[in-house]
Amino acid sequence: MGAMRKFGVLVLALLPACSAERRVVVGSKNFTEQVILGEMLAQLLEARGVEVDRRLNLGGTFICHRALLAGDLDVYVEYTGTALTAILKEKATGDADATYRRVREAYENELGLRWTKPLGFDNTFAVAMRPETAERLAIRKLSDLKAHQKTLRPGMGHEFLERGDGYRGLVLAYDLEFAEKPRGLELGLIYQALMEDQVDFVLGSATDGLIEKFGLVVLEDDRSYFPPYDAAAVYRPETAERVPALAEVLSLLEGNLDEAAMRSLNRKVDDERLAAPEVVAAFLRERGWK
Amino acid sequence: MDFINFFLDRRADIAAQTAEHVFLVAVSVGIAVAIGVPLGILLTRRPSLSAPVIGFANVIQTVPSLALFGFLIPIPLVGGIGNTTAVIALVLYALLPLLRNTYAGITSVDPSLVEAGRGIGMTDGERLRMIEIPLSLPTILAGVRISTVNAIGLTTIAAAVGAGGLGNMIFRGLSMVDSRLILAGAVPAAALALVADGLLGWLERRLSWER
Amino acid sequence: MSPHPAVELRNVGKSFGARRVLDAVSFRVEPGETLVLLGSSGSGKTTTLRCINRLVEPDEGEVDVEGREIRSWDPIRLRRRTGYVIQDVGLLPHLSVIENVELIPKLEGWSEERRRERAKELLSFVGLAPGRFADRRPRELSGGERQRVGVARALALDPPLLLMDEPFGALDAVNRRRLQDEFGEMKRKLSKTIVFVTHDVSEALKLGDRIGVMHGGRLLQLAPPAEILRRPADGFVAELVRE
Repeated sequence: MGAMRKFGVLVLALLPACSAERRVVVGSKNFTEQVILGEMLAQLLEARGVEVDRRLNLGGTFICHRALLAGDLDVYVEYTGTALTAILKEKATGDADATYRRVREAYENELGLRWTKPLGFDNTFAVAMRPETAERLAIRKLSDLKAHQKTLRPGMGHEFLERGDGYRGLVLAYDLEFAEKPRGLELGLIYQALMEDQVDFVLGSATDGLIEKFGLVVLEDDRSYFPPYDAAAVYRPETAERVPALAEVLSLLEGNLDEAAMRSLNRKVDDERLAAPEVVAAFLRERGWK
Repeated sequence: MDFINFFLDRRADIAAQTAEHVFLVAVSVGIAVAIGVPLGILLTRRPSLSAPVIGFANVIQTVPSLALFGFLIPIPLVGGIGNTTAVIALVLYALLPLLRNTYAGITSVDPSLVEAGRGIGMTDGERLRMIEIPLSLPTILAGVRISTVNAIGLTTIAAAVGAGGLGNMIFRGLSMVDSRLILAGAVPAAALALVADGLLGWLERRLSWER
Repeated sequence: MSPHPAVELRNVGKSFGARRVLDAVSFRVEPGETLVLLGSSGSGKTTTLRCINRLVEPDEGEVDVEGREIRSWDPIRLRRRTGYVIQDVGLLPHLSVIENVELIPKLEGWSEERRRERAKELLSFVGLAPGRFADRRPRELSGGERQRVGVARALALDPPLLLMDEPFGALDAVNRRRLQDEFGEMKRKLSKTIVFVTHDVSEALKLGDRIGVMHGGRLLQLAPPAEILRRPADGFVAELVRE
């Protein structure tokens, strides 16, 4: 009995999870909005006395997803459309509710992960162009691109280029064949590339702050190729049980972050070049959430 | 075998990116040789300049490559995304081995041979052309070989800033967490490095037979 | 017969930093004669020689070659018009024997045929059969053979003046003797002015029409061998020739 006891104490002492019961690992993908959301989750948890490990700016959707499954992450913010088409590899529908219900169900039953209710904004893909180009070529919707496929130069992130529901799906849906191969770029560079006329259009997000700043034209998805991308947090139920504050924080965010708010936060970081932690802290104080 | 099928499936992409990769490396090393070898020769004529110039090239080498690509982006004319920025960064990185090897190669030519050349009435240019360069060619070529192999590896990183080449395959693989994609980029790049090393090494050995 | 000496040094002085290497060296070399500068290492004999083809620039004094101050000569032309043979020979290892010999004619723009002919001629003259030696590499040759090539190279443009800096110094006694003998023969066939540097007294006595003994950067005595032996100018010279 004595030896077992000692062994048990040793094991307990060595298991980090046990020694840090109130510890949560927050992840995010590698673009501004994601970093802001991750920072928000982290600061809200810390305000409630939870120790947070930040793993922000991870390589992309799949890295975050794998990490969450493996338990290397406890929570990150995902988008319903991405989960549906890229992760579950199912066909997109235009129905936001149906999309949300499907991913929530599939994640719970097949993956053992939970979705919060949507945070309140749809971060759909935005095909952005400089206004001069859009005017000159009379392009307003995505189906207008075909007429100019010989001369337009596309630019986008590596993930979108490779994803099944990404570039390949887009060119199929709109019957496009660009003469110029799309350039793969780090996401942070796409707007710079666009403004310096090194590409003609880029795949950004609807909530990107720089779209507003540069007065860019967002082309209409007239064939509804892109599914809805409602943002919500995805998390491990075990963590929510272990750390009650997590559930509290998540319900605080549900339905309370709209597009305007998100865009403004994005702009503060991308345009005004303020640091994400400060921007988030100011925002939380303003909202009285801390 | 899954990898082999995948590789065959994507062979058009892989071939195109390999061609871009070779092009980027060839242009960069070519420019670096055109600058570095004459500059290295000049340094042997003005030894007081050798410390600052080689020192500068040394400092460039210590800058992490991704950072250097990043620094160059906002600079007008030479910067921006794409192949131009990549080539500039690659040229800068290729300079050090070339400068150092050219300088070392020429200064290590037996001084009594150079003196003999002077004594029998060779001009500085003739000595350079007929004594110093032929005798230091293996060392200079070693510099080209090192620069080339380095450049092949560095070019993969250039994909982060929109340049062409096999790095694109690798970055896509990273974002998809798909090791087949990563390998589809990494294996050809490694093969290129081996081939370059082998070819240039063979050339070096051939020329040093003549010693 | 030219009216002026082939080479004349007047009061030549040279310092390397604080070290006084040459001091008030003056002498003439008559056309067609072989003048040997004899001394131990550090005596200034090699530096003197190298003043003649401007590999060293004197600090004081003048040097005339063929009656003209060498500073008025283009150094490249001067050196091509002066044969130069050194102890290490200095053959280019990446060229064949015949390519080494025809090097200077090539620099002068001779046609391939003409310089080939001349090179073969020279190789025979120095006792190396062109058929056997022309395409060999210097590293395949013995010391004696290499130096013969060095001499052939120096004679390529048929220069009136030859400067030789301990050319046989690196050879073993047997080869040295042989080359000295052959050189003596060669001298008679060519009518050249030769300035020859050595530390070997017997070599000096054997080859020189006149010997200039140097020590500490100064010329102690300049006279035909017989006179040096009979009437050494001072104790040092006497000591030197006692062997």
